[in-house]
Parts: sequence; C-alpha cells; structure tokens
Amino acid sequence: MTDQQIIDLINTSLEEEFELEKEDMKPEALLFDDLELDSLDIVDLVVVLEKAFQFKIREEDSIQEIRTLGDIHRFVINKKKELNTL
Amino acid sequence: MTWPQSIRIVRPLDFLLILLINLTALPLMLIWTAVGIFLFPALLIILKAATRWNAEQITRRLIWVYGRGWLAIMLPFIRFELIGIKQDKTKPPCIYVANHLSFFDIYCLAVLPYFNVSIAIRNWPFKMYWYAPFMHMAGYLNIEKMSWEKFSGSAAQVLSKGGALLFFPEGHRSRDGQLQRFYSGAFKLAAETGVKIVPLCIRGTNEVLPPGRWWLKPAKVTIKALDPVDPKSYAKPSSHRLIRKNVKNMMIQSLSEMDIDTTMGNTDVPRSVCSS
Repeated sequence: MTDQQIIDLINTSLEEEFELEKEDMKPEALLFDDLELDSLDIVDLVVVLEKAFQFKIREEDSIQEIRTLGDIHRFVINKKKELNTL
Repeated sequence: MTWPQSIRIVRPLDFLLILLINLTALPLMLIWTAVGIFLFPALLIILKAATRWNAEQITRRLIWVYGRGWLAIMLPFIRFELIGIKQDKTKPPCIYVANHLSFFDIYCLAVLPYFNVSIAIRNWPFKMYWYAPFMHMAGYLNIEKMSWEKFSGSAAQVLSKGGALLFFPEGHRSRDGQLQRFYSGAFKLAAETGVKIVPLCIRGTNEVLPPGRWWLKPAKVTIKALDPVDPKSYAKPSSHRLIRKNVKNMMIQSLSEMDIDTTMGNTDVPRSVCSS
C-alpha cells in the first residue's frame, strides 16, 4: 500500500463515517475546529482506523499528539512502516 | 434591485399577515416571557409547598406551560399539523432526537404532551442570560462543557426517573433545510442505557423564523413522531454508530415524504387549526 493509498483510505473512511465533505479533507484541517469532530467522534475515529487498517492503535501514546488530519495521515503511514519492518 | 427571497412579498394578504404576526405575536411573546420570569419565583414557592415536586420538576413543568403559551400566541398565524405526537410511542422514558431548522423549534416541542423533558444542548443557549437560570434549574445538560461520563450519568438519572432527553443531533440549525451530519451523543446514550429513541421530524419552522432573520412569517409547521428505535436490537460495541445511521435514514425518508405532502398541499394561508 502506497502512502497516497493510505491517505485516500483514511479520507474516504472518515468522510463516510462522519459525513464530511471531500473538499474539507485537507491535511492542515484541525479535527475539532475545522472538521467539527467532538470527543465522542475521536473514539469512533480510532475504531474506524483500526477497522480500515487492521491494527490496534488505541494504546499508542503518540495518538494523543494528533490535532490535524495530516497528523492522522503521518501516524498511520509511520505505523504501517513500523509493522512492515517487524 | 433584487430583493432577498425572504422579503419578496407577492400578495397583499401575505404582507398583511406578516405585519399582523410581527405587530401582535412578537410583543405578546416578549410580554409572556417577562410575565413568566416575574411570576416564576412565586409559582415555585407555591407549587413546592402545595405539591411534592422538587424544584427541577416544577421548573420543567413551568417551562412546558411557557411553551404552550408561546404556541397559543402563535396559533392564529401558524397552522400546526401533528402526526403521531400524542401516541404512546412518544411516552417517556425515551430519547427524542429532532432535526433543527429554527430557534422556534424548541418552543414547538411544547406540543409534546409530556413536561418531564431535559434538553441536551451546546454551550451557547446557556449564554442567554434571561433563560439560563431556568435552564440550570430544569437540569438541562450542557453537552459541550461536561465530560461524557458526567453527562451520561446525569442523563441516565433523568431517564431512570421516567423523564425524557431531547437532542438536536445536528448541533446547529440547518441553513438549507437538509439534515446535516449527526453527532453521536444521543445514540451513544441510547446504546448505554437501552432506552428507546423517538425521532421527531420538523418542517416549516424555518419559514416562520429561519437563522439570520429577526421577523416572523406565518407558515404551516408539521411535527411528526416516527416509530421508536430500540437500541437493544443493535449489536454492540459499535451499536451507536449503526443506530445513528438508521435513525438518520429514517428521518431523511420521512422529511422527504413531508416535503412532497407540503408541495402537493396548499400551505400559503395559515389557519388556527391543530390536528394530531
């Protein structure tokens, strides 16, 4: 899976789950302020990503640092690379 | 010069009705609100002494009466059509979820025959200083300022005492009448407590008072209660997501059917008729 395919899968998964507009899915978009997600949505976001990529992320410390959509892209890309090197 | 859609008046009768509603209903509403605020402390003391109700129950009852007064004032100008509202399916304990079109929506929900309703709302309505003390006393829940644990604990208490919770899951008023994305709070609460969800579909309040307009316009308002959704019939752990999607689809379908009915019927001339 290429980085772009990962980004596309994240974006389409979130668009579908949270009924977001495609044009709003910019890497710099803040999850709370720009995409208007709330704290309950963040819990669902973790579930959606785990389902889409078939790995557990809820125990990862770095997930606390996520603020933007681009942060999610980087987090998942790094996680995939990490798993591939194991 | 092109007039905005909202002030394009075609017939003299429309103009007359708009003039009448704004010259009568609007001042009467302000007077009714002032009288309510003024009488509330005395009524609270009297009802507390005369009944076994606590302050929260009394406040919810008085808010319901206030809403009914609001509706009575508007009745000469607004034709209400109520569908399924007075049936057993809307009886608490339950979680009402309604679409949000107008500031007027909340007053319209006084058509529900039950007063024991707490409302889960965002922070901004608590900034209306003339309403805020009553909202606090009625135990309305500020969903933006509470942690989920605290919110769900308080909400579960309301439901366990036979009350109902009202949510506007869109979080904001719709600008185009279409349903916006749904937030998860109501559905997560239903999944956690096992209490039924009653979807309420509202049409026409955005004709009366849409976002961004300060004057009223006569219109027909339809409020329809859909069949309750039992959260226990959904598989956990992600049942709230499925409930949310199902309820939203039910509401989309119902609202589009209501739109077709409105298009086919004559809604121009309001009448003081209330059916259910």
